[in-house]
Amino acid sequence: MAVLNNPIVAVIVSLIISVGYFLAVDHFMMDMQGLDFWYLFRQ
Amino acid sequence: MGRVIGKRLFSIMALCAMVGLLLLPIVVVLPSLALGEEATAGGAKKEGATVEKGRDVYYKTEGVVVGAPAPKTTDGPKDYPRYNFESRVLLWFANQQHLYYGSFVLAVPIFCMIIEFMGVVTKDKALAKRYDQLAYDFIKISLTAYSLTAVLGGILIFTFLTLYPAFFSYLSSVFRPVMHIYALMFVAESGTLYIYYYGWDKMKEGFLKWIHLSMSVVLNIIGTLLMFLANSWIGFMMSPAGVDEQGRYLGNIWHVIHTALWNPLNLHRILGNMAFGGGVVAAYAAYKFLAAKTDEDRAHYDWMGYIAMALGVAFLIPLPFAGYWLMREVYAYRQQMGITLMGGLLAWLFIIQATMIGILFLSTNYYLWQAMGRMRGAEKYQRYIKYLVFLLACGYMVFITPHTMVMTPAELKAMGGQQHPVLGNYGVMSAKNGGINVIITTTVLSFVWYMRGNKVSTVSWAKFGNIFMGVFFTCAYFNIIGLAVYGYYIPANVRVGLSVPQVTTTLSCLFFMFALNSMMMKGAKQMGPIEWGKISARSQYALIMLATAFTWMMGLMGYIRSSVRLFWHVNEIMRDNSPWAYTHTVGFAANMISANVLFFWISILFVFWLGSLTAKKAPAEVKVAVPGSVPQPVGSH
Repeated sequence: MAVLNNPIVAVIVSLIISVGYFLAVDHFMMDMQGLDFWYLFRQ
Repeated sequence: MGRVIGKRLFSIMALCAMVGLLLLPIVVVLPSLALGEEATAGGAKKEGATVEKGRDVYYKTEGVVVGAPAPKTTDGPKDYPRYNFESRVLLWFANQQHLYYGSFVLAVPIFCMIIEFMGVVTKDKALAKRYDQLAYDFIKISLTAYSLTAVLGGILIFTFLTLYPAFFSYLSSVFRPVMHIYALMFVAESGTLYIYYYGWDKMKEGFLKWIHLSMSVVLNIIGTLLMFLANSWIGFMMSPAGVDEQGRYLGNIWHVIHTALWNPLNLHRILGNMAFGGGVVAAYAAYKFLAAKTDEDRAHYDWMGYIAMALGVAFLIPLPFAGYWLMREVYAYRQQMGITLMGGLLAWLFIIQATMIGILFLSTNYYLWQAMGRMRGAEKYQRYIKYLVFLLACGYMVFITPHTMVMTPAELKAMGGQQHPVLGNYGVMSAKNGGINVIITTTVLSFVWYMRGNKVSTVSWAKFGNIFMGVFFTCAYFNIIGLAVYGYYIPANVRVGLSVPQVTTTLSCLFFMFALNSMMMKGAKQMGPIEWGKISARSQYALIMLATAFTWMMGLMGYIRSSVRLFWHVNEIMRDNSPWAYTHTVGFAANMISANVLFFWISILFVFWLGSLTAKKAPAEVKVAVPGSVPQPVGSH
């Protein structure tokens, strides 16, 4: 826990969790509607 | 001992009476429904006539025709008797006033139930009594308004009977099997409300308090059912079901009630009523705060205003999402109806609606920032508020940008088209969804700051928690805005789905960050108490602004919902042949809504004044229990 209180580690861990979470939200929420979130990148 | 048992017995009997009142309409209606079916079948057998069948316009099921067709009205004194005035405007006024008061008296008992429950479960006795007193104050306001609601309901029925007899006769014939349930529910609501109110002092402790709390649950069930029944009428007018294409009732009352739009309307109205009720009570508290002579009164009404505002906003946040569901169902029911609303005749009213929604959130944020002033330790957030203002202003400006402008030919030529070359890009749903989600997320952030204003977290992982919270909010903003921008680069059929991850992002901030904040603030060090009453007068005007905006927006949305039927009394079933079967100009509608809002506020001020004549003073022990000159229910946050 002490390592997490190091600002640099905290920022990196937070970024990994947050970015991963929001990408998952985008992907699955679109997938749930039968739509492709990555549409533009697959073209 | 005997007295206590007597009281308990009396309370249980009162609760049983309430449950009995709740069940009475259902018990009464069962034999009549059965009798109705038998009578129809029996009548057909006796006459030996062929049973005429019809097809449900919505459910597409076959049923025996048991009702008369919808009347084909003509413009004349028979179908549209009138005074020397526009009948629709009179009905509009009567309907709107009844709705305002109806919403208020249905919402406030729900607040009472929540607050009374908080009072019962809290361990701090002084705080419990303050909650109890607050719930009592709420119901007291509601009681006076309740009488006025009934009077306005009577006026509304007379207005219908006098000015639209053919339409009202048809509507009541279709809803005949449940009309008396509505009347009986109203009786049950009245009886329950009076027992609940007058039994307050007799049932204020222990087991009896739980009985009293149970009564509020019964009261709210009755109130909600009452509203659902009323909603079924407007649902039927917009998206009829249970009748054939001539409007003949097919004997299945559930189909008539359970129309395509009934459930979305129910949800939207519950949330809307709660937000509206919170706004009105907050305005009442603000008015009392501004008029208060003592610090103690100012502290009480400051606290009352805060609780009412918080409850109102708690229901305001999911309201736009319920609105989206309603619109989605409107499109699913009749695409043309959706286009009339969002992209056609009534589209400009949605720009006004967006403006009002923005005002609601701006007022809420402003109030919260002002409220931080009464906390020692919250100064550290003050310097960041300007960034929140920037985010809110950007979100707001995008949210209210119209898709196309109303212009003269010369202006059109000068601009090079209907859309502005730069600003026109923001007048699309992709940008607007981004705008409103930024506004709501910023409001959530303001709430989080407010909740931790005078506290310092003492958990071992506090530093990580703070950084995580900051990163999570930043990523949420990037995600919302990123999705809005992304929408410009993908086709419309994919873009339409982006609103769901945007909403999920906003709700994630709401639920996860509130939960994280609560965990971090458990056992937190307090920098100082919340000094209730020590808040700027401007904050109270923000509460009044909030309530006025709620009232105005409710009138506007009611008008939009009603106008979408265009020249139909009952959509595609019964045509409106009165001279007023046209859509008013935006300007006229806005003036009419403003007049309704003005009348409501003048009349509700009268109600507040009446309520103050029988003002009940706070119990003496509460005042004693509170340290200092100002009460400090800080533990509630």
